[in-house]
Amino acid sequence: MMLTFLTEHGSDLLIKTWEQLYISAIALVLGIIVAVPLGIALTRFPKTAKVVIAIASMLQTVPSLALLALMIPLFGIGKVPAIIALFIYSLLPILRNTYIGMNDVDPILKDSAKGMGMTPVQSIMQVEIPMATPVIMAGIRLSAVYVIAWATLASYIGAGGLGDLIFNGLNLFKPDLIIGGTIPVTLLALLVDFGLGRLEKQLTPAAIR
Amino acid sequence: MTNLNTWQQLVYYFQHNGSYVLRQFSQHFLISIYGVLLAALIGIPLGIFIAHRKKLSNVIIGVANVIQTVPSLAMLSIIMLGLGLGTRTVIATVFLYSLLPIIKNTYTGMENVSDNIIDSGIGMGMTNWQLLRMVELPLSLAVIMAGIRNALVVAIGITAIGAFVGAGGLGDIIIRGTNATNGGALILAGALPTALMAIIADVTLGFIQRHLEAPQARP
Amino acid sequence: MHKIRRFITSCGLLVGSLLLLSGCQPLGIGNRQSQTIRISSLSTTESQILANILSELITHETQNKVTLINNLGSSTVTHESLIRGDADIAASRYAGTELTGTLKMKPTKDPEKAQKIVKKAFKDRYNQTWFPSYGFADTYAFMVTQETAKKYHLETVSDLGKVADQLTAGVDSVWVNHEGDGYPAFKETYGYDFKKVAPMQIGLVYSALAAGKMDVVLGYSTDGRIKSYDLKVLKDDRRFFPPYDTSVVATDQILKEQPALAPLLHRLDGKIDLDTMQTLNFKVDNDLLEPAVVAKQFLQEHDYFRKGAAK
Repeated sequence: MMLTFLTEHGSDLLIKTWEQLYISAIALVLGIIVAVPLGIALTRFPKTAKVVIAIASMLQTVPSLALLALMIPLFGIGKVPAIIALFIYSLLPILRNTYIGMNDVDPILKDSAKGMGMTPVQSIMQVEIPMATPVIMAGIRLSAVYVIAWATLASYIGAGGLGDLIFNGLNLFKPDLIIGGTIPVTLLALLVDFGLGRLEKQLTPAAIR
Repeated sequence: MTNLNTWQQLVYYFQHNGSYVLRQFSQHFLISIYGVLLAALIGIPLGIFIAHRKKLSNVIIGVANVIQTVPSLAMLSIIMLGLGLGTRTVIATVFLYSLLPIIKNTYTGMENVSDNIIDSGIGMGMTNWQLLRMVELPLSLAVIMAGIRNALVVAIGITAIGAFVGAGGLGDIIIRGTNATNGGALILAGALPTALMAIIADVTLGFIQRHLEAPQARP
Repeated sequence: MHKIRRFITSCGLLVGSLLLLSGCQPLGIGNRQSQTIRISSLSTTESQILANILSELITHETQNKVTLINNLGSSTVTHESLIRGDADIAASRYAGTELTGTLKMKPTKDPEKAQKIVKKAFKDRYNQTWFPSYGFADTYAFMVTQETAKKYHLETVSDLGKVADQLTAGVDSVWVNHEGDGYPAFKETYGYDFKKVAPMQIGLVYSALAAGKMDVVLGYSTDGRIKSYDLKVLKDDRRFFPPYDTSVVATDQILKEQPALAPLLHRLDGKIDLDTMQTLNFKVDNDLLEPAVVAKQFLQEHDYFRKGAAK
């Protein structure tokens, strides 16, 4: 039975998997580009950091269906509103972990850097970020898993992806489509989690491991 | 209606459909809470049981982790195939997703009780049950509450999706809004209460959690 | 602090047990007298209105509670919901759809014949009762603006044929290639072609017509926007579209378990005509009222269709 499903829907499956990866990746990259520098900058302004992280935290609590649906009156339907919503979701884990990671860098190391004559920027780039990397990576990994999972729902607002198979299955009562969408999407989420977990281990300096 | 802007439409909507929204709101909340409570009923004892049992805890938390990674829409649909349409499926799904936060946090809370305190307790002649009731659980309460809080927020999100399998709740309003041609006001009418429910639940349980933490912070 | 902690814990336990006890209700564990009846509906406005009318009728006139199983995606899911026991009543079934879709029989153009066939087939095959129609058929219908109708003297779909080569038609993308009653079959029956056929989402055809982007569109005959845009529906004089008379379908089991149900449901036979359905749809789609609210208003206006009430 699985074989017939694959022959009938095989190309669909590939296209939709690609769509889901594609919008997730874009959202995640945008999230990293915004949240990492922001997290680093916020370490210099602890009071503002509290507020910003609280706001991002609040956005995270919003149920995914609500956030996705809210995109429609603002941005219409399709891949772009989905990416925007997923981007918003990706922010908190990365932001919080960057902030915490940077803050937790041993002050002795920061002082040594200053002592060696490094400018603040050099200190950040050459000392603090490398030390904070494992924590930041953990945040990115968490975001990635969230984003891949939510991208499934995003198909409802026209983003494509494996969620399409599930919705079609629900609407036409085709259990094979439902299963055909569920298994790949679960495998995808598990693979991303596992893959980034490995990356996280690789990037952890041996000293900390 | 088209000559009113979205805000005015929203106000008009709530004026005329207020009791309906309230009904959907409470149904939504109840579904979420049932699932979480069921998970707590099973998850907390389970978490206590696997504390100090490393191999077992790895397995159980590993399984709960895998459940967590399955996208909720997928899980919901699969369970629907088994349990049918309606609230039963959503409660079952919420239950499953609430397991990890609750079990893991209970486990962590128990594990984090300092050995010194446990030793004192044993020294005072406490039985295992007394130890649990008077030392370990009270000290783990904050962390367990954090797990319940996490679970409830996720539950509210899952219940919203539950509208796709006929369970009702605020998701119904959101879906009607997305299907309509100028549904902006409807989407807001559904999405805002849902978001508020999640945020208020998060803040309230966070408040309780912090109050449960305080005694430990005292020297 | 210790006191607060104990207080919170005991509150939590109390709330928990209360909810669990009262929780048996939503989980479907009730007693026979106040049995919960489950009504399924599609995600369309019309279906939800009808489901809410049934729901309000039942809860108002009997001791029963009702749960709505909403947002079903198609007639297939609706059918499955009754077969699998997820629902007891389906609020909106369309004769034409079920004839070819569920029953897999040949399409019939005669509305009365179609009714007889589905009624018998559903009883024989599924032990379900197909009730007489509410009084309207939700069918595909060609429509134009009032101006276009006046300009070309259009009353029927055949009239449209005279000027079809000048017109652009917006149609449901699902319908275009539909087997048996799609565009190719249409061309055969009516013997003409449009200048251009533009497939689109069915929900968008009404505004497209009103805005002048299309000259003629194929929409649903009960849509509220026909009223709000003041569109003219052309008569299907060659009876191309199958009869989509709308009815309630209930499992024989629930009718047996709740004997009061059948006469209650029969109160609605023929009570909702096309104009009424359009108005109800309009109230939801245009006036921002929830189907539940519109349904209740409707029943109150007609005194729940009690015997001796005004028609």
